[in-house]
Amino acid sequence: MTPRPGSKQVEPARKPFVLVEDGPHGLRVAAANASARTLGISAGLGFTDARARCPDLMHEDIDRQADQTALQRIGDWMVRLSPIVALDGYDGLMIETTGCDHLHGGEAKMMKAVAGLLERNAIPHRLGLASTPGAASALARARPGHILADGEEAADLADLPISALRLSAEAETLLKRFGLRRIGQLYGIDRKALGRRFQSRAAGDAVLLRLDQALGLRREPLTPLTEPPSHITRLPCPEPLLAIEGVEAGLEQLAEALCVKLTDQGQGARAFAFHAFRADGEVSSVSVTLARPVRTPKHILRLFSEKIDQIDPGFGIDLMMLEARRTGPVDISAPALSGDLAASDTDPVLLSALADRITAKLGEGAVRITEAHESHLPEQAERKAAFDGALPAPAVPHISHGPRPIRLIDPPEEIKVLAEVPDGPPLRFIWRRVPHAVTRADGPERLSPEWWTWTAPPPPSGSPEGMDRKWLNPKLDPRADAALISRIRSELEMDDIGEPISNLPRARDYYRIEDSDGRRFWLFRQGLYEDGRGGPPLWFMHGLFA
Amino acid sequence: MESAALDIPGVFRLGETRRKPDPGFPLNLGREGVHEICEASHGDMAAMTGFALAAARPPAGAVFWVRQFGLSREHGQLLHAGLETVARPPAGLLSVETRKTSDALWASEEAICSGAVGLVIAEIEGLDFTASRRLTLAASRHGIPLILLLPWRRDGSSAATARWRVTSRPSAPNAFDARAPGASRWQAVLEKSRQAPQMAGHVFNIELDHETLSLRVVSGLAAHAPSPRAAPADIDIRDAPPRQQTG
Repeated sequence: MTPRPGSKQVEPARKPFVLVEDGPHGLRVAAANASARTLGISAGLGFTDARARCPDLMHEDIDRQADQTALQRIGDWMVRLSPIVALDGYDGLMIETTGCDHLHGGEAKMMKAVAGLLERNAIPHRLGLASTPGAASALARARPGHILADGEEAADLADLPISALRLSAEAETLLKRFGLRRIGQLYGIDRKALGRRFQSRAAGDAVLLRLDQALGLRREPLTPLTEPPSHITRLPCPEPLLAIEGVEAGLEQLAEALCVKLTDQGQGARAFAFHAFRADGEVSSVSVTLARPVRTPKHILRLFSEKIDQIDPGFGIDLMMLEARRTGPVDISAPALSGDLAASDTDPVLLSALADRITAKLGEGAVRITEAHESHLPEQAERKAAFDGALPAPAVPHISHGPRPIRLIDPPEEIKVLAEVPDGPPLRFIWRRVPHAVTRADGPERLSPEWWTWTAPPPPSGSPEGMDRKWLNPKLDPRADAALISRIRSELEMDDIGEPISNLPRARDYYRIEDSDGRRFWLFRQGLYEDGRGGPPLWFMHGLFA
Repeated sequence: MESAALDIPGVFRLGETRRKPDPGFPLNLGREGVHEICEASHGDMAAMTGFALAAARPPAGAVFWVRQFGLSREHGQLLHAGLETVARPPAGLLSVETRKTSDALWASEEAICSGAVGLVIAEIEGLDFTASRRLTLAASRHGIPLILLLPWRRDGSSAATARWRVTSRPSAPNAFDARAPGASRWQAVLEKSRQAPQMAGHVFNIELDHETLSLRVVSGLAAHAPSPRAAPADIDIRDAPPRQQTG
């Protein structure tokens, strides 16, 4: 049974109830309800002691993972109030209210709105509002419901207990032993002296850090649950929405408002996310990504139309939000009036719109282009990349290599070949269990391995000296490597170990083959006889000619 | 208005009175309508790809290539360096790979309707009559040609403009090296055509000129099928041991 915030099982009939956790010294109380606390049972107490104080104490194992998940869900829901929501330990949430409180009519009203939202969903809560995260956290823990004015942290926090400072249990116990029970008592203490009281310097520093953060002397950046978007439009619903038609109409309004905002700044966005906040503390979201920055409501709505039915209205949606992420300048270019003057026949805007629609349905990176790469190996010379709105520049035709097949079989498939030894073309071969008789052959075209991109695995034990250095390190001098390899090889032959260096890449000899049916193949022999890089060479099928 | 709706170009209707002049080879392949190109037997996919690109000559605009995962696993993927040997490279090539046939058909229709590309090529495992009708209507309405590359199993009725069945033939003699393969040759059978029904069943034996990237019709291909290279007849490589070094 998971003790979820808000579930009624946490305090059954107001009896003393605790959550326990297995610690190094046996079971410990991890959390206690109000009636248990009146009996003097608090977090950190041994479970046996707690049992002694209250014999009919009820208990459950604590489930930290479920707590964390529940807290995160509430955090996601709280994004409706502010884009920056962060987790505070395992039992708190931080909401950055800067720039958001005016939407609710001031800080006090915003706090009331938060309390109202949480109360409606029966989530027990304590709120505090201050200009630093540390002070807000201290207020929420020790004096809930207060709002601290800017610059008055030191005066107002002075009376609060030390435990409000988010300290470790050991540090708290130690401070209490010194008689330091209120935050105000820490202000006057010599900092170096305080540090010396602790066993380690780090423990002392941690106390000072928390104090400084609460007082605003040191910065405390929040780590938001989700990255804040560039632009947001919000649409609160007076009545919770249940029908998907209402959601569609709302999305239309939001998209238009957002595009006006983007137009004002001369920008477009490459990702949009739509959140529907439900009244029951859940949020359901859909997002779309685009190939190039866009600010056309019609296009955005069309992409969302594929996904809008994934929104689950549940018990009613009371707030909708549309976010724009990954913004950038919109490329505006007037089309050429004459077709002859146009730089190309493709309209990048139309092409991106097509790619967006396909990406929205088939997933990100579904539409791909081929990019040329500097490589000898045909399977690496062309790589697929996601289409990002720009077609690659036409590649310079390769004249340095021989004919290439129209279809490449990647990875190459091993075949059985009958060929002249040592380096003749194949006479017969078996590919996918079908024998083929070769009528004509052309080749070989040798492709050398790319030694500069390749580093050998660690050499086997008992290797000659000098091999403990990493071979063929790209930073090293290639001539030195060649010398090293030849020396190792000569040493191996001299010692007559009989084992060739098997972990070096081998050259490929490509042949263009035609079989008796008129089908044309591209196959290669990997390695040569006596190249000292492994056993007899292997043959592979790598492509099909037109 | 009703007559305008019926007057969609490329839609075949009974009782057609207007006679169009016969289009020559390749019967508007890659120019208009939906052309199905099918394998004559398993393994002709590469020949089909080459034939489709060489005969269609990708028009101005980008080419949108839809692939189905199973087919590209079986027959390999398009290689740009190889495309340049059969046709002029298009202005841009976008590719989409899907696992399901329905997704591939959907992507093809989206590409046709977008008006952003000049030619759509789809490698799919098969389609029913309804799908082919739908694609034909979309292609004629938007004026974007579609080429379907289909495996040898493809048979039955279709609403496509034409269906070709392509197989590779022994290549032309190589002028520089008699033992090497020469210019690619294919045999394309026009199985059915809505534009030129009288040409159905016609066999085209064609050869690709790799220099000019143009096709020409050749004759007497079957007469000069070269014999296999002489191999020791007593060796069966199926149970031959791994070759040993004989030095």
